[in-house]
Amino acid sequence: MMSTLKRFAVLQLSGCAGCEVSLLNADAWVQEYRLVYMPLVVSAHTVPEVDLLLVSGGVRTDEDLYSLRRAVKCAEQVIAVGTCAISGGVANLGNRDEVRQLFLAHETRRHLPRLFPKSHPIDEFVTIDRYLPGCPPTPELFMALLTGDPEFKPAKTVCQDCGRKKVKDLRPAELLGFQQGRVLPDICLINQGYLCIGTSTRGGCGAPCTRAGHPCVGCRGPSDVFIAKDANAWLTSIKRIFATMTDIAPEIIDAELRSPQLALFVFQFADYDGVERPPRPPERIL
Amino acid sequence: MTTLTFPLSRIEGHARVEIEVQDGEVLSAHFQATEWRGFQYLVQGAPAEQMPVIVPRICGVCSTAHHVASVKALEDAYGIEPPPLARTIRELLLLGQLIQNQATSLFIFTMPDRLGVDSLFEVDEADADAAEAHVEMRALQIRQAGTHLIRLAGGQFIHPVKATVGGVTGGIPAQEAEKMRESLAQVLPSARELFDYYWEKSLALGERLGTWGDDAPACYIASVGSECPNFCGEQLHVLNAEGSYCTSFATQNFRDYLIHQESETSYAGQTSFQGEVLRANSLARINLVERLGTPVADAYLARFREAFGNPAHAILLFDLARGIELVYALERAQEILAQPLDGEEVAVSYTRRDGEGYGLVEAPRGPLIHHYRIEDGRIAEAEFIIPTVHNILAIERALRVAARRYITAERVDMELERAVGRVVRAFDPCIACATH
Repeated sequence: MMSTLKRFAVLQLSGCAGCEVSLLNADAWVQEYRLVYMPLVVSAHTVPEVDLLLVSGGVRTDEDLYSLRRAVKCAEQVIAVGTCAISGGVANLGNRDEVRQLFLAHETRRHLPRLFPKSHPIDEFVTIDRYLPGCPPTPELFMALLTGDPEFKPAKTVCQDCGRKKVKDLRPAELLGFQQGRVLPDICLINQGYLCIGTSTRGGCGAPCTRAGHPCVGCRGPSDVFIAKDANAWLTSIKRIFATMTDIAPEIIDAELRSPQLALFVFQFADYDGVERPPRPPERIL
Repeated sequence: MTTLTFPLSRIEGHARVEIEVQDGEVLSAHFQATEWRGFQYLVQGAPAEQMPVIVPRICGVCSTAHHVASVKALEDAYGIEPPPLARTIRELLLLGQLIQNQATSLFIFTMPDRLGVDSLFEVDEADADAAEAHVEMRALQIRQAGTHLIRLAGGQFIHPVKATVGGVTGGIPAQEAEKMRESLAQVLPSARELFDYYWEKSLALGERLGTWGDDAPACYIASVGSECPNFCGEQLHVLNAEGSYCTSFATQNFRDYLIHQESETSYAGQTSFQGEVLRANSLARINLVERLGTPVADAYLARFREAFGNPAHAILLFDLARGIELVYALERAQEILAQPLDGEEVAVSYTRRDGEGYGLVEAPRGPLIHHYRIEDGRIAEAEFIIPTVHNILAIERALRVAARRYITAERVDMELERAVGRVVRAFDPCIACATH
């Protein structure tokens, strides 16, 4: 009976374990898979032969790279899970030159994995079969990935999942940013002056953030339309939407979109860190 | 000299234990955190108001605590107070986190140690009672009660978004609150049964080992209310090792009491209470509160104190204390959900200003402090005071005790590897947070 179950492993590199926590909520896999390696929940210290390897977290240390290279050899299929594995994620904020200098003071530590100068997405080092973006991907997305559910039809954008109404006569003249007071229920966050980029962010998450009244920060990356293009195409499209729906000065939108925190998400499939890479093929991205 | 290295699993993050031995004598035991992303640096320059979105990414297990601590630090900097309803919803958020975390630690991290297996997913195969009780399935369900509560109160359950500077983005409609209350009411009996099972297996383990992890008493640190728990308070308390005297101080004065040191052999630092070994987490809270304030949890607390004393010190009691808190959180959340939570007054408006702010929450692992200095609306300096770091000296001392028990001049008892795992997991360290 056990032998008919597919075997899968979860390798966590430098990250926050949020992807693993989400996976634990997607427990439908218990019926179809045998989890053989995931240090967060299983005591096993090396990755055995598996059908499926999920990798979360970015490559920040030499130990990350060693574990990654060793693990992919044992797997039939390798899936990059979450923003850190796909783009470097939040750790990418540490790749800024002015910040990198601060890390140098810590070079004196002994017997520890050595930090690389920057954080790296995993496909800089190994070949990836599929990508599951999100920070973290929701349990429903994990389930769709693991069970290959043909019924699962993700929305194209977060906007389509959100359910808030766009209204013509509500045109804000000022940007509220992210964190400002009470949010009106049921009405589009852009109409209320929030910097929401759900209009062009990849759907499939069910829009939990915008439904709860927080603007989408684009953690799933661009929708299929923008994946093969560079970051500027996406940026331009977001700016065009704000020009159409609001009276906020375009230079304010531009400055906010380029702020470090948003850049972290917005450019995850593009050339944010200046590395020349071909775009990831849309058919490999869930 | 011989160095024994133990990789660790069933904890949050990457760490290992190194024990140095010479001629059967244990020279040292180091708990080494082996990952580091440098959040105190990488947030520099970020617009201050974006911190509540960035900092949950320190840790996917403790994200709720970071989210709320961040919002509180900014409110302190801007000089504003959130309305009562916002505080209540934040308490719900932190209770959801407590349910999720204590269930994870009890059932996923440490239950396998009680049964001698490698993971929760083998528990049902290893123990006939467990199979009959559907331990695996129910453990996951109890844990999910916590994540569903976080999702209701926080929007997203891993990196929540609903707490904002000045309050929360919205209330909770009565119908949804009632649905959640009913589902928690259903989970409570299941959690009690599983905890009773866990308690029984822990007694058996203690008997087999001949110890509950004895170590010298230590000081205990927590942020609690005057009698009962309070996860969103403003004061820290340290109980001395004898349990006779409590030192209290306000968040921003923590440097006068807590001495922090970086470590050469770990990416996590360590904290002492003016040079004394400190313990945070479940046992610290249980030792510091007078009562929990909910009936079933208080009955467990009475049973616990009768069996183990007050303050209680043995290492494996951290795990039992976690179970009592799981029951407490399930009860307390139901009380809150029975109140009206859909009022209009969810946030106050504010004006941004530069300056400094401190935000304190009692996270499942102990008191968590965020400290920001804001210049031109951007983060000029950020400090994260992490509960796991308060426990590092206590973990290492307990590891030395365990090592001496199992290492002699003739041999190293193979039980040592399991003992290392049990000691570390009792403290439920979070390495992603500790290193941040």
